[in-house]
Amino acid sequence: MASTQTLLSPAELAYLHSSLSLTPPIRPDGRSSTQFRPLVAETGILPGTNGSARICFADGTEAIVGVKAEVERTKSALTTTEDETVHRLEGEFVEGLAGAGGNSAGNIDEEDNDGLEGQNEWVELSVEIPGYRDDDSGTVFLSALLTEALLADGNLTKKLRINTRFHWKLYLDILLISPPLSYPLPLLSLTTHLALLSTRLPRLKSEGDEDPFFDDDWAAAPYLYPRENGTSGKATLRPPISLLVMAVGNNIIFDPAKEELAVADVALAVSIGDGKDNNSNAMDTDTRNLRLLSVRTIDPPSRLTPPGVPNATNTAYGAAAGTTAQKQPEARAAESEAVEGVWKPPRGGAKPLVMAALVQKVLEKGGVTDEVLDALDAVELE
Amino acid sequence: MADRRRINGPAGATLPPVYLNEDAQPSDDSKISRTRAANAIRKLYLKTGVTPSASGSAYLEIEAPGGGAVSGLKLSCTVHGPRSLPRSTPFSPHIILSTHVKYAPFATKQRHGYLRDPMERDLGTHLEAALRGAIIADRWPKSGVDVIISIIEGDQDRQTSKSQELGSWETMNALAGCITVASAALADAGIDCVDTIAGGVAALVKDAGDNNSPRIVIDPIPLEHEKILSACCVAYLPTRDEVTNLWFKGDLPASDMELYTQLVETGIQAAKSANLVLVECLHETMG
Repeated sequence: MASTQTLLSPAELAYLHSSLSLTPPIRPDGRSSTQFRPLVAETGILPGTNGSARICFADGTEAIVGVKAEVERTKSALTTTEDETVHRLEGEFVEGLAGAGGNSAGNIDEEDNDGLEGQNEWVELSVEIPGYRDDDSGTVFLSALLTEALLADGNLTKKLRINTRFHWKLYLDILLISPPLSYPLPLLSLTTHLALLSTRLPRLKSEGDEDPFFDDDWAAAPYLYPRENGTSGKATLRPPISLLVMAVGNNIIFDPAKEELAVADVALAVSIGDGKDNNSNAMDTDTRNLRLLSVRTIDPPSRLTPPGVPNATNTAYGAAAGTTAQKQPEARAAESEAVEGVWKPPRGGAKPLVMAALVQKVLEKGGVTDEVLDALDAVELE
Repeated sequence: MADRRRINGPAGATLPPVYLNEDAQPSDDSKISRTRAANAIRKLYLKTGVTPSASGSAYLEIEAPGGGAVSGLKLSCTVHGPRSLPRSTPFSPHIILSTHVKYAPFATKQRHGYLRDPMERDLGTHLEAALRGAIIADRWPKSGVDVIISIIEGDQDRQTSKSQELGSWETMNALAGCITVASAALADAGIDCVDTIAGGVAALVKDAGDNNSPRIVIDPIPLEHEKILSACCVAYLPTRDEVTNLWFKGDLPASDMELYTQLVETGIQAAKSANLVLVECLHETMG
């Protein structure tokens, strides 16, 4: 798991937990419950990519994302061969079938209905975290989470379509270049967001189903996520962001640091898309049309923390040794009951209401998500 | 990573040719439609103790609906442990849980290799999160338990054409099955849990044909519906009324929190129905 085990003693954990459960919570770094860590962001740092971004959090974690695009031949659903002539024939064949009322196949006959959908294989995302194998379950989980959010509404893959025979294949390479000092999800997600916002694809010169031919003037290349007025201004439709949110006691805490996550009762990764209404041109935040794309429970590292021993059962404080073993049922009852000030890792899950409250808090109008998106708007693109 | 030690089959899917008959009807006809009530799960068969060599095991089968157009789900789960860790591992105050979900190479139309692919690893992580909440981990310090699930037959449609888009939703059904079967196997192995844990799936679907408004159904089969808008898989502890793992995927307007809450509630309903089977099965084993 990328959320590594923390080396905190039970006493420290108990202290953290109780200070985070206060109203208002007192966080170790003095932030308010909805405040993010300060960050430095820049885009367009890698000249060899179609779009890139770097974000550095105040705690020293830093991530770089590069987006590369390649033109690829679209596979038809019925054939896996790469041979073009066969491919074309199949295309016509299937179109003939579709005309005769056959089953729909792939996206060859999808032009009839204006769906023009892309395929999920057109986006490939890789996450690299130093010190972890790329097939480590935590890394796989992170990349699955980020991919899921990107593909959830189908907007991105739709943009990658060139014509019926060709499409762009987008490679997103996400690199954490510092050791994972905290669970890196918000950092990676925000960096990916900025990199995609700054991504430009060469302008298409060919028309229809011709072999694609592009304008070699990079300045004329349009953004993958188009801007409101040509090349400047805010994007009309934006890539998703994923936020990490956790609950301790009755408090909901955003962007937890590693120590805070170590005492979490429940932690969720919530992905939100931002599709602005097309019919309203106003640039104020009221028109922001947030969409819930995915929610995943993060296995909180608090379950792996060592429990504290209450004085009543501690032989160093005069508890009789060996008696607990003889009275099994009572020992088990004692094991499960909480003692004030003694750390006990959370057991069981979270109430459905708590989970709903976490998601609700993320999606709140004028809440943290709006704040984060506003802040990202302020980042200058190249 | 290339698997070079075995003779592997072809990488791509192999599909039998399908010929259209003269009187072939438009595609609506070949589509099966949902005959169950919106709040009913498919029939489950669950049996514990199927693998004698493991300390706990269970087998789960979900019926195949629609006369063979869709294959059912068949899962086998073995639990090895609790057993002591090798000497080299550092001290752990808890039991170390490792989960392993693997599709059999022949489970779905697209062949799966012997090495786990990212999707299977992701399922394993979800399962781990779900089970870790249920196991009382501090009763076995310095020990480990392995939960190994093989998906013998995946939940997949057998028709040729509409296979590309659907795959991602089926993993949710598979995960729900994995959670339920793992819970039965853990109980069979005698590992202390706070509660039985059951998985359930609910989805917001749009049906084919007339302009139906989206509705929420339990235990969705992608082939039965025109489009699945969003789905959620819940791992639920029924007597404690707690959720240990929640996985929601889809596209919902944020203003519609009501719909999201309803979807999760329905997922919990599905988990409760699966739990009935689970409890019944455990009673049978006891008696």
